[in-house]
Amino acid sequence: MDRWFLLIATLLAAIGWIWGMICVHRGTRSHWTVAWMVAALLCQVGFLAVRGQLRAACPLQDLGEMLVFLAWSLTFFYLLIGPAYRISLLGVFSAPLVVGLQSAALISGVLTTGPLRDLTPNIYHSLHSATSVLAYGALALAGVAGIMFLILDRQLKIHHLKSGLFRNLPPAHELLASLERLLWLGTGLLSLGVIAGFLMPRSTPQQSHFLVALAVWIGYAALLAVKTWRGLTGRKLALAAVAMFIFSLVVFARI
Amino acid sequence: MELLCLGLNHRTAPVEVRERFAVSSLQLGAAASDLATLADASEGVVISTCNRTEFYLAASDASQALVLLEARLTARESLDPGAASHFYRMAKSEAAVHLCRVVSGLDSMMLGETEIFGQVKQAYQAALAAGTTGSVLNRVFQRAFGVGKKVRSETSIQEGSTSVGSVAVDLAEKIFGHLKDSEVMILGAGEMSRITAQSLVSRGARSIFVSNRSFDRAEALASEMGGQAVRFDEWQRVLERVDVVISSTGAPHALIHRSDVEKVRRARKFRPLFFIDIAVPRDIHPDVAEIDEVYLYDIDALEQLASEARSRRQLQIQHCERIIDAELAKLNLPGT
Repeated sequence: MDRWFLLIATLLAAIGWIWGMICVHRGTRSHWTVAWMVAALLCQVGFLAVRGQLRAACPLQDLGEMLVFLAWSLTFFYLLIGPAYRISLLGVFSAPLVVGLQSAALISGVLTTGPLRDLTPNIYHSLHSATSVLAYGALALAGVAGIMFLILDRQLKIHHLKSGLFRNLPPAHELLASLERLLWLGTGLLSLGVIAGFLMPRSTPQQSHFLVALAVWIGYAALLAVKTWRGLTGRKLALAAVAMFIFSLVVFARI
Repeated sequence: MELLCLGLNHRTAPVEVRERFAVSSLQLGAAASDLATLADASEGVVISTCNRTEFYLAASDASQALVLLEARLTARESLDPGAASHFYRMAKSEAAVHLCRVVSGLDSMMLGETEIFGQVKQAYQAALAAGTTGSVLNRVFQRAFGVGKKVRSETSIQEGSTSVGSVAVDLAEKIFGHLKDSEVMILGAGEMSRITAQSLVSRGARSIFVSNRSFDRAEALASEMGGQAVRFDEWQRVLERVDVVISSTGAPHALIHRSDVEKVRRARKFRPLFFIDIAVPRDIHPDVAEIDEVYLYDIDALEQLASEARSRRQLQIQHCERIIDAELAKLNLPGT
């Protein structure tokens, strides 16, 4: 049942992505991307609910669950920010990442079959996992906004303004504002995750995972500090947001 | 009853002729009433914009009504008989197709412009209020509005900016979003700068600084635009705060160099900076574009973008005309 939810969520996000790309190619606005992504979110919730029941705990116990939780978080923040700030194209750019994360979770062996009940749930462990993965969702979306900015910036720089993509991309200022907002949100949530991580009992293998997570947090905090006090060009901020998110994936590799 | 159209526009008449037939928006109803008093005519609508004046009427004898209308117009304006050569005359379906082309912006000086739709609607409503429309003109005009909307929604006839000023404004909006928080500096109080800056102000730009070698001219333009004059040796100080720089001085060499911008980057916190260089020779050295947060467009780049948009609109004409023909064929309009 949980795999079916995941499979359908992946297909819905893929449809949203392909539909959005067709609209972009035609130079029209992709109004349906939001609808496909809402449907994908509902299926992700279905998956997480089933896994949560099986685990009798927050479904963040294996890499597959974390990847799906990350995809859910990314979709959730897109739906929260994209339509509100009229950045509908954010969905077209987020959808492939959602498809990628969920496809990785669907690979045999990544998602535990017949998950065991968590008999010794720890509140700090659950809080650490949930807030951290939520944070990575926001930071992933910041990376997506960063990619969108880099494309727009390049097109403006080389005067390539004829494409449907250029017409549909939101203004550079709005992309940078959303990117910064998402970085603050992600770093704030990550701070909670790190604090909870300090408080939870840790085994030796978890120690290295925790250190990597701490390095990621310091990296994002430093980026925001530089942006706030010194200032950064949009291009450097966007590149840093993308690079930092790619680096943060190391955290998942250590699980 | 037959539908008729008599008119002149920017292609058939020079401005000194067009202005004599122009009707103010407040007089459109009275002009339509006057039109409907012609012998044989029972309905009338008068459209008048800066580029055209057109008389639409429904009459039982088309050729007679046209002769009477022409005679009345030339007599009223004391024109010599040769002035009639400026008029175009259309009847029945040809007149209906023409109205649809006008409403869709296909007959406008700026192909695909949208303002004409509202202007025709205003003319029709004035005639409706004056009671000079009936079964023929009501259906023809309402159909034309429907066709105009369809043309605009199903084609890209209105897409892209077709003048240097509008390209610059669209680019500014693509960089800064709404312009209400944007500040603009004009270097050189020339006409092109003024027009471009006015476009930015009309879209909400917050404040304007004008710097010119002659401070008097800077003050005059600043006062006209509700901005602030800046002495020419102080423009670098203002560069720290503005978002858009429009430059069109008559300087024989580049005025703004990379080093000028590098100096203020830190103070600007690396915010985006949009340079519009409409001077020839160019005022802004091309090296400035290599700075990360700078977007530099010179007159050739802007003109090329405008020209490409105009070409794209030209390519849409046949598509628009097919829509007009198909839509008019669906209905058996009275008077056509």
